[in-house]
Amino acid sequence: MSSVTLSGVEKYYGELRVVHGINLIIELQEFVVLVGPSGCGKSTTLRMIAGLEEISEGTINIENRVVNRVAPKDRDVAMVFQNYALYPHLKVFENIAFGLRIRKEPKEHIEKTVREVSEILGLTPYLDRRPAELSGGQRQRVAMGRAIVRHPKVFLFDEPLSNLDAKLRTQMRAEIKRLHNRLGVTSVYVTHDQVEAMTLADRIVVMNDGIIEQVGTPMELFNNPANMFVAGFIGSPPMNQLDGVITTSATGLHATVGDTSIALPALDNVKAGQAVVVGIRPEHISMSSVDGLSPVPISLDLVEPLGSEALLHATVNGQALIIKAETHGEISHLHQVAEIYAPVDLIKVFDAETGKVLNSAARQS
Amino acid sequence: MLMPAIVWFIIFLYKPMYGLQIAFKDYSIFRGVADSPWTGFEHFETLFSNDQFIRAFWNTIKISALNLLFGFPAPIILALMFNEVINATYKKTAQTIVYLPHFISSVIIAGIVITAFSPSVGIVNTVLGWLGIDPIYFLTKPEWFRPIFVGTGIWQEAGFGSIVFLAAIAGVNPSLYESAVVDGASRWQMMWRITIPSILPTIIIMLIIRIGNVMEVSFELIILLYQPATYETADVVNTFVYRQGLQSGRYDFAAAAGLFNAVVAFVLVMVANTLSRRYSRTSLW
Repeated sequence: MSSVTLSGVEKYYGELRVVHGINLIIELQEFVVLVGPSGCGKSTTLRMIAGLEEISEGTINIENRVVNRVAPKDRDVAMVFQNYALYPHLKVFENIAFGLRIRKEPKEHIEKTVREVSEILGLTPYLDRRPAELSGGQRQRVAMGRAIVRHPKVFLFDEPLSNLDAKLRTQMRAEIKRLHNRLGVTSVYVTHDQVEAMTLADRIVVMNDGIIEQVGTPMELFNNPANMFVAGFIGSPPMNQLDGVITTSATGLHATVGDTSIALPALDNVKAGQAVVVGIRPEHISMSSVDGLSPVPISLDLVEPLGSEALLHATVNGQALIIKAETHGEISHLHQVAEIYAPVDLIKVFDAETGKVLNSAARQS
Repeated sequence: MLMPAIVWFIIFLYKPMYGLQIAFKDYSIFRGVADSPWTGFEHFETLFSNDQFIRAFWNTIKISALNLLFGFPAPIILALMFNEVINATYKKTAQTIVYLPHFISSVIIAGIVITAFSPSVGIVNTVLGWLGIDPIYFLTKPEWFRPIFVGTGIWQEAGFGSIVFLAAIAGVNPSLYESAVVDGASRWQMMWRITIPSILPTIIIMLIIRIGNVMEVSFELIILLYQPATYETADVVNTFVYRQGLQSGRYDFAAAAGLFNAVVAFVLVMVANTLSRRYSRTSLW
């Protein structure tokens, strides 16, 4: 059963179209993450689901009810904002209870619900404090508490972790995931951070310039990006993309990158001389010889040690390439790397003109 | 950038403080401030036994209390109302209209008030006439002075005063309202539960400043509007000082009255600030 359905949803600000006919079905209890760069329309889409922005075209359904003309309060959604949106003059208890008081719920019910939710979120010791007396993580928990007490049909998260430092973000990410597993409420989460998207989502919706580029599970998007944008957005570091030209020989299909030849998987939808982009993930690049593969010479620029791994910044005929290598506690050998091997079965080939992948049946929305 | 303000303070506030000592002297303009003989608290004793001063003191308190009661909330209410106006053109026009009286000189304001309340041609008495009520000589009746004075003050300053509160409202985080909308709050609930509490620190600061000026009722407007027939309710400490000092030449006596006025204002602002800091955690210093 679907929980939220967007059908041909568009948003205009005057003449400017910021969301271009989005179609998306979010299943009941699913955790869907809308991810994309700033200005891609993800927050606007979320705000249209919340009712904070009017829908210019199309329809939004929440549990089989069209909500285009329904006031936010009657949509049965709860939203967690980027800057927490806590009332500075109210104590934690009153902040969590705010929505219930507005709806004139009985006092005993408010007391019981707020205490229960506070217990779940570990906020019980802080109920008498004001937001200014809390840490960033505690404030975010209060914001979530305020959403949870309402027992909504859908949780909406608008970049809730972007104001936290890296360590706290990792911690809170896990808490949100645990909370979703426990409560099982349909959640729509907006972020520009692909790591957050990968770790939290049941399904990721990659957006760019107001359109959906691809919808899929985190691993589907990682393994089978539908186009160059998704390939360049998902993964850390993102997929390397080298401009090349298709050449054919007795040994198979190749892409010529400058004066270097890279072996490609078999493709029946390309022809010799066609401009393509060769995509290879940094972690898929091998530095030891692979049977049947010719080495690709590189010019090493920089080695960034990360502990168990290191990032090697290099160029192939002037085109940037990042390699992720295991260090085994030592990086001196990585400074000597002069050639690499790109496993054919892990290479993605994109049409240079359309940006679409040529060797994968990636799922598209 | 600060220099003009510092120079202004030195010339008009700090330097004249030297002259305050004449409140404790038998001041003669021929001997000067330094050479006039000391008289201790003699002028203050005379002041507190002077019926006119006692009356002026209580009039100041009463007018200030009315000003505080009605004049202080007026700009806040106006700002809250402006905040609810959705049509931008209407909002800007209305704001311009209510800001205008602030820029009109007190002399013109007094002229407008005198004309409006004129028993023969005034709009107020004309309307009363339509209702079959005989003309009232508002400006010669002591019981009407305070409402007219306070009302005029509100008309002149409420609009301009609302700018501070509008700025404070503009500073409220918009996501607080969005969050409240999703929670189901009405505009009225948002005003009471978000806007007013959010601008409360500004309201308190403005209140403390206002309390500090309690003894400084609009001197020019009173001088322009009052007359011996309304002294009973209209004469305030400042007009008393003006009459004693400039019209009767009793500079030392007038200085004592002025100093007393300043001490009362100082105590009031100290008390207000302390109470505010203790109960609302907001204070001037």
